[in-house]
Amino acid sequence: MRLNRRLFLLSDLGPNRVLASLALWHGVQGALLIALGVGGLVSRTQLLSLVHGIALAGAVVVGFLSVVASIGIARRSHIGRAASLVVHYLLFIAALIGLASALDLFKGLDVLADYAAEGVPFLMAFVFMVGYALRTIELSERPVPRWRRRIGSAVMLVGGVGVALSLGLVTALLDWVAKLLQSPSALVWLALAVISVFLLRVMWRDPVAAWLGARRTHGEQLVGWLFLSPNLLGFLFFFAGPLLFSLYVSFTNWDAFNRRDWVGLENYARAFGLVVQPLRVPDQPASEALDVRTYSELMRVHLPGQSFLIGARDRLFWISLGNTLLFSALAVPLSVVPALFLAVLLNMRLPGMRLYRTLYFIPSVAAVVGVALIWQWMYNSQVGWINYFITEGINFINALLGTDIPDPQIRWLADSSYALLSVVIMSAWQWIGFNTVLFLAGLQTIPRELYEAATVDGANPRQQFFHITLPLLAPTTFYVLVTASIQALQVFDQVFIISNGTGGPGTSTLTMTLNLYQNGFQSFRQGYASALAWILFVVIFLFTLFQFRRQRKASSAYES
Amino acid sequence: MAKNRLLRILTVLTSYGVLTFFALVMLFPFLVMLFTSLKTPADTFSYPPRLLPREQITVTLPGYERPLPLHLVEHEEGRTQPMALVEDNIRVGIFAPLQPDGSPDRSRVVMRRFGEVRVVGGEDPKTVLLDGAEVPVYEVNVDGEIQEMVVISRTAVGRFVNPDNPSESVLANVRLSPPVTRITAHPENYLTVVNLLGFDRALTNTALITILTVIGQLTTSVLGGYAFARLKFPGRDSLFLVYLGTVMVPFVVLIIPLYQLMVAIGWVNSMPALILPWLYTAYGTFLMRQFFITIPREVEEAALIDGASRLTILTRIFLPASVPALATLATFTFLYAWNSFFWPLVVVNTGNTRAQVLTLALNVLRGRASDSPNLILAGAAISIIPPTIVFALAQRYYVESVASSGLKG
Repeated sequence: MRLNRRLFLLSDLGPNRVLASLALWHGVQGALLIALGVGGLVSRTQLLSLVHGIALAGAVVVGFLSVVASIGIARRSHIGRAASLVVHYLLFIAALIGLASALDLFKGLDVLADYAAEGVPFLMAFVFMVGYALRTIELSERPVPRWRRRIGSAVMLVGGVGVALSLGLVTALLDWVAKLLQSPSALVWLALAVISVFLLRVMWRDPVAAWLGARRTHGEQLVGWLFLSPNLLGFLFFFAGPLLFSLYVSFTNWDAFNRRDWVGLENYARAFGLVVQPLRVPDQPASEALDVRTYSELMRVHLPGQSFLIGARDRLFWISLGNTLLFSALAVPLSVVPALFLAVLLNMRLPGMRLYRTLYFIPSVAAVVGVALIWQWMYNSQVGWINYFITEGINFINALLGTDIPDPQIRWLADSSYALLSVVIMSAWQWIGFNTVLFLAGLQTIPRELYEAATVDGANPRQQFFHITLPLLAPTTFYVLVTASIQALQVFDQVFIISNGTGGPGTSTLTMTLNLYQNGFQSFRQGYASALAWILFVVIFLFTLFQFRRQRKASSAYES
Repeated sequence: MAKNRLLRILTVLTSYGVLTFFALVMLFPFLVMLFTSLKTPADTFSYPPRLLPREQITVTLPGYERPLPLHLVEHEEGRTQPMALVEDNIRVGIFAPLQPDGSPDRSRVVMRRFGEVRVVGGEDPKTVLLDGAEVPVYEVNVDGEIQEMVVISRTAVGRFVNPDNPSESVLANVRLSPPVTRITAHPENYLTVVNLLGFDRALTNTALITILTVIGQLTTSVLGGYAFARLKFPGRDSLFLVYLGTVMVPFVVLIIPLYQLMVAIGWVNSMPALILPWLYTAYGTFLMRQFFITIPREVEEAALIDGASRLTILTRIFLPASVPALATLATFTFLYAWNSFFWPLVVVNTGNTRAQVLTLALNVLRGRASDSPNLILAGAAISIIPPTIVFALAQRYYVESVASSGLKG
């Protein structure tokens, strides 16, 4: 036994032999990975699938790192150690992903949902949590007594085993072991994972670390990258990569399935394509003035003496842009101004203000889909509450003043001139509470002494509001305006539910995001939809920049 | 001085008034949702709309098989009384006595069924000229006295009986007799919705997705936040700036490439697509980092000297100290995962029940049950109540932290 263990003590082998074999290992590994990656990328005979492309490119990168590690180890540099650790960490992750896909572990989530649908797992999880509470929560100053800890542990065990059994984890585990033994590729992945872990340990632990001159700060750096790695991998795969890919797709005519030809700026040209034609008579048919194969009528401009017809290559883009800007221009002030007003009232610090603050916040935690359904019902033109309130209000005013205002009986969601306004009101209602809390936080940073001094100087509340509160609140106002605008410009859920995904009635609630959705996922013009997404991104960016400029100007004006 | 005090009191009262008004505005739609979800379908369409669910009272009377609805009926003498409707759609005439000049006296009309009256003159009916048309004259029994009357209009009425005295019956217009109602509740609407269209499966899926997303996001954010806050490694600060910049990027830019990625991996229409892309979050990392840098270094350094590993320090010292930040992030993630609609809409086919989530199920329900707002709003309540409860539990942390960091999705 002792002899066996001694055989594996690396220090007995001496640094030269161990490091040489490690350098060799990395060299061979790097060469193989690069050959695999480059070979795969070069020898492609048909369109590669996205995943293969990513995997092959990843192999080249890891292979390159492995070569670096090989050279570093040969030179006895700690950089070699770092590179080696990174390589084996990445290989380990790759092996785990490979293993998971070979065993269909990801699909296991669906199976998990099948079991969870029976409801027992949630009950068991609850039992588990009760056990944990029993074990840990201190009811008095004294520590938790022993008997409670024991009972708590027992209950936790029951709950935990219950969760495992009811989720089918035990059978799944056996199933996976059986699959593992039958699948050669899974075994290869498993072997790769084990080797990676072994080499990670060898590199990390002392004799090798010391031979390569690693110090504590180096270890700290590696731990930093290690801790960040789950985040960083997510960032690369689900954010940065897709972002760049999206930019690329916006220059192609991808239909999501086959064609993916580079078309340059064509998508953007199509979105922005406009033509202005003078008209002989104001109501001249569009087919005479425009090349209707490319352009369709967007609007007519009637100037004295001359009328113009504006045609667009994609009129829906312009309509959606207009709707989105109109929506934001209405919904942002409607959700910001009342919020400021409420925040000033709440800042009087009277008793019960926390309760009000919480109540105002509730709409912003509710699902937009649910909220839209409630409002859809309230907007019902015959039996809805909104029209009822309007009718009652008008009757009241008529009775009070003896006027004869007719009841408008607005068909909120069916009338194209009111549909967008309906969505504006609903969204403003939902966003007010959030903005109120932001304003309240800003208000609480303004020193009270300023108001006291102003009162002594004889400033009335209105003057105080305009000369103290507003200027000092400018940074918060800027922030609230920016976040509200960013949110408003992306409005989707509300209009989708209200219009059943059509953007109707007519095109009255077709927003940019909804237009993007229709292009990308109903007509499957994904290249064009990507271009639309980037245009929206730029619009949002410009909005932010504009607000930023204004805020800078405002604050500098205040300072001078 | 007294004037100032009065002014102050008035200001406070007005403020409370305005705040309460806005609180009602904020809560009213939710009350509509809750009460409508407990109504019967017929009740939802009553006008004027009423908040509380109401239902017509019925009585069972001997001799009638079905329960009979109660209405508030106006007797001929002018008193009103709740009575049971036993027969509907009876065709009756409104009869008016003839005045000496031959015109009907519309102030003394009675209502009679046509079976109860006889035409004057039998085979050779007596007629009078009324509004340019010849109309027959009827013999009508009014309080035991036979009068000659003409029909001035026809209508359909219901026959009502007095539930206390079933032999007493009246004819009255059903639509003009308001139903006698009482407040009810139909919580079984919720069961109906849950059993409809795989709503129960959507509920479990959403719960599972939410739980896993919360756990996953907390893990990656805590690890990443700690690395950004306390560990020194090359490129840390520039990477952090990049993370901050990503907050500006709208989700719609990512939706097409992410969808393509899911297609490539083969995760479309399945649960992993709804969970895995959301395990990384720049917001969460940022939030945890901001919290971790406020924790004093001394405790950590002492533990390091004692030989504790970084992971131990993180779990034993940092995590217990950052309950507010963890609660905030967990709540935020919970709300985001529970309420998300756009991404499931793109990546899960609405016909698929196995990976259905609540918001999608609601969208389907909206289309299928458009004639039963009570069911739609019960569905909305199912989707809205859990996040509201979570928010209520965590609001102390959550609202504070929104105020301090402006976290937003």
